[in-house]
Amino acid sequence: MEELKKYKWMIPLISGAERNTRRKLLKNLRKKKDRFYPEGGFNADIKNLINCMLCPNMCRFDCNTLQAAKTEVISPAYKARIGYYLTVGKIDPSDPENKEFVDLMYKCSNCENCKIWCPFDFSVVSLLETVRDDLNEKGLMPDYCEKQIDKLKETGTIEDYNIFKTYEEKGIENIETDGNDDVFYYIGCEMMKFPKVVQANIELLKKLGIKFSTNLDKRVCCGSPALNIRDLDTITSLASKSVDLIRKSGAKLVISGCPGCVRTLTERYQKNHILEEKVEHEDEEIRGKDVTEEEEQFSRILYDEGPEVIHIVEYIERLLEEEKLMLHEVPKKYETVTIHDPCLLARNLSNTSSIRKILGHIPNLTIKEPIYNKEFTHCCGWSGTVHWADRDIAIKESENRISELKETGANIIVTACPECELGLAYGIDENEKDTIEIIDLSELLIKAI
Amino acid sequence: MDFNDFDIIYQEKRALIKNKDKIVAELKQNIGEKNVSTKQIDILAYTKDTSLIAMNWTMEGKIAGLPEIITWPANTSHIIEILKVANREKIPVVPYAEGSGVVGGAIPVKGGIIIDMKRFNKIIGINNKNLSVTVQTGTNGMNLERYLNSKGYTGGHIPQSLYTSSVGGWIAHRAAGQFSSKYGKIEDIILGMKLILPTGDKIKFDPMARAATGPQLDKYFIGSEGTLGIVTEATLKIWPYPEKRALISYAFPTIEDSLNATREIMREHIFPAVIRIYDADETLRHFDHIEKAKNKVMTIFVCEGNERLVDLEETITREKCEGNSGIDCGKEPVDHWFETRFKVTETSMFPPYRIVADTIEVAVMWDDASKLYHSVVEATEKVEGNLLVSAHVSHFYPNGVGFYFTFGGVPGKGKSQFDFYKECWNTIIKATLESGGSISHHHGIGINRSHWMDKEWDGGLEVMKKFKDALDPNNIFNPGKIYEKTWNGGDK
Ligand SMILES: Cc1cc2nc3c(=O)[nH]c(=O)nc-3n(C[C@H](O)[C@H](O)[C@H](O)COP(=O)(O)OP(=O)(O)OC[C@H]3O[C@@H](n4cnc5c(N)ncnc54)[C@H](O)[C@@H]3O)c2cc1C
Ligand code: SF4
Ligand code: SF4
Repeated sequence: MEELKKYKWMIPLISGAERNTRRKLLKNLRKKKDRFYPEGGFNADIKNLINCMLCPNMCRFDCNTLQAAKTEVISPAYKARIGYYLTVGKIDPSDPENKEFVDLMYKCSNCENCKIWCPFDFSVVSLLETVRDDLNEKGLMPDYCEKQIDKLKETGTIEDYNIFKTYEEKGIENIETDGNDDVFYYIGCEMMKFPKVVQANIELLKKLGIKFSTNLDKRVCCGSPALNIRDLDTITSLASKSVDLIRKSGAKLVISGCPGCVRTLTERYQKNHILEEKVEHEDEEIRGKDVTEEEEQFSRILYDEGPEVIHIVEYIERLLEEEKLMLHEVPKKYETVTIHDPCLLARNLSNTSSIRKILGHIPNLTIKEPIYNKEFTHCCGWSGTVHWADRDIAIKESENRISELKETGANIIVTACPECELGLAYGIDENEKDTIEIIDLSELLIKAI
Repeated sequence: MDFNDFDIIYQEKRALIKNKDKIVAELKQNIGEKNVSTKQIDILAYTKDTSLIAMNWTMEGKIAGLPEIITWPANTSHIIEILKVANREKIPVVPYAEGSGVVGGAIPVKGGIIIDMKRFNKIIGINNKNLSVTVQTGTNGMNLERYLNSKGYTGGHIPQSLYTSSVGGWIAHRAAGQFSSKYGKIEDIILGMKLILPTGDKIKFDPMARAATGPQLDKYFIGSEGTLGIVTEATLKIWPYPEKRALISYAFPTIEDSLNATREIMREHIFPAVIRIYDADETLRHFDHIEKAKNKVMTIFVCEGNERLVDLEETITREKCEGNSGIDCGKEPVDHWFETRFKVTETSMFPPYRIVADTIEVAVMWDDASKLYHSVVEATEKVEGNLLVSAHVSHFYPNGVGFYFTFGGVPGKGKSQFDFYKECWNTIIKATLESGGSISHHHGIGINRSHWMDKEWDGGLEVMKKFKDALDPNNIFNPGKIYEKTWNGGDK
């Protein structure tokens, strides 16, 4: 509508035009779809792929994959252009020779910096996801994505073994629910790679006397990787398990140290109609039959009367505000820190204040902000699908981000996302590994309690 | 994928590289495997710039020009190695930065090798005492400006394409930012630079406040559009971030009233950073929500810098506007301009409806300004299929102005989109010359204007050709631009 309003000045020009010109124009208006849209069914968001491919790349300066790759190929408008050509068949996605064009649809780190600047409010990855839907339907999911889906199906996690079951060897205490919890501490698959962070959070929750559970014996991935790949069947099954577990815990609050998990459990399930779709889907197959009670319950729990799902920093901020938590001085080494705002926390969950407020409670701590911070933060490289599709780009993204953070002069990088911690580590030079430390906020807090 | 499925617009003069495999192998050997590609996915990405007609072509599955090899040099030695091979084999090379040029400058009309400058993106440093910044030329404009802002400065060069253009592209096209009335065009902002000549020799112009050391050789390379070598590093002026900004707008009964007011302001040596006069059509397009501007000519001003100076500039600006029948419209129109100035959607909106549109900027001295405006509008309205022609005045000097025309329409019977495009372009350029104007203020020559260069320069073009022959003996640097007519006979 906004778009149309912007072009309303054209109406008198068209009506006042010479007859032949007007006829031609009206024909062009009518024929747009016949001319430029593919025949038959498709999922691709053609209209907006076109808008994006014809844009002068107005977001290019902040596209993290482009700034890492430094080639026109990775520019947002070119990605859209290839998405369009793949959809209309100008480039045949099923021809193995065109594999690189298909791969381009996955060379995105989901950072959504494009969305900050886009005059159409696009996030390119959302456009590319619609192309991925078509590729999947044609059985053209790239092998590196298939591999992830296989792992999710086999182990319920992003590893080829069930990473949640490694808690014992990692020294993480598992707390099973008795159905009567206040809080569900939702540890993500990636977070399982950072036992110190998990230990710190468990210690914190215990110190505060909160009744919580972790349920690591029954946990599965939230399904975020499957959402990126657009395998909705896999996500539906993972979502059902996660939601069921949360429901059984009785918790009214779910906290997670992974902004990816938080976003998936909330906005992404809902936006993708995950469990609703399951309901509809089965409804179609077994027309006439009622939707199962269980499914209905899932939907309800998730979207309507479900528990609140928040990032742990928001929870800690609340505890500080309620004066349930007091922070003291940190050791000298940690006195000066810089913050790496995770994209997902800063832009998708719109929270850049909690980290800063929490750090503000530590008396001897100084924050050195990087140039690109808060909602303008840059990606660590390890979000989205690019780190599977083109690892070199992801590593370069990480190197770029590390050099921005290093520019602050602080050696301690505080973040609040396991994916970022994983990604950023790739950006640190071997000879700097002893001087620069990436640390989760919870790990720092435990030093201040 | 087959490039035969794409019509190639500029292919008449395209010469294929002989012994390509051998040459590619040699390039890979010399500058690194990853820095050279002949892959289709890479080639397709460098087949156009942002000329608006290229958007129509993209929509129709056409491509502007087809290069054969893409290179991404990481340092000057890489560039020199590429040039060694290109000179020996007489292969065209086209410098490419962000591809936002709008006159075909980066389109490889004769094929050849693309030299993508994106890896030259280091900001080398700020010199606070000299008020300068030294950067590699592949640096993106917005990333430079954000860096400067974070350190308390501005670069003063804010083209609408700030987000999608590079320092090298600005120098190549003699670009102008929206704040140019105060800070100048890029040729006023640049203090020094380093270049690699077509032969592979390096030259440098050290930053200097002013000098009298023979002819201004450095200026000769500003605006050379990638035809006389590659600029690798530049030192640019910077300014302390403005302390104060005053936002002013006036609506005038006619464009002449507004031109008079702005001329009188410039005469006083008052330099609001931004001045923009929108003709009645553009006022309707952009400011129809401003009641006082109905059927009038909206003019906006931004004065910025030292607070006391800004206050004085504002006072004089207002005096001159009010003395020329201007009606004060407050700061809202300027806020609106700030909000929308980078929201470019037009390039996307028209091609799906097969509407061909573009913008053409020209320059003129004050005494011919009004005449030029009316002649261009009148002439363009007569082009068959034309739907709109409008203008704003975007750049101001004590001695003249830059006009920015927009046209759009659909081709008449039997004519292609390209025919219509060329006809509108040629009409506007012809009317500009006949009104005493200059054919480009800041977008440059590229392909679209090269056939007008003899008229613009008279005997000067021959001198330019001699320089070109001397500096680029194999004529490998960005051929088909500036000195050669690529749109044959467009001026007839
Ligand atoms: C939406 C939009 C708004 C615009 N607004 C403005 C504006 O306000 N003011 C303005 O002046 N222009 C404007 N332009 C035009 C364009 O942005 C400029 O011409 C810009 O300077 C081009 O820079 P680039 O880095 O994109 O260069 P490219 O398009 O990549 O290249 C342009 C030319 O420069 C040459 N070149 C590039 N880098 C080098 C180098 N390092 N050494 C030698 N040659 C080189 C290329 O060979 C080519 O001939 C606009 C364009 C768009 C699409
Ligand atoms: S995401 Fe928006 S700004 Fe970026 S290229 Fe696409 S349309 Fe342009
Ligand atoms: S989501 Fe990030 S990587 Fe992907 S196009 Fe947008 S800015 Fe680039």
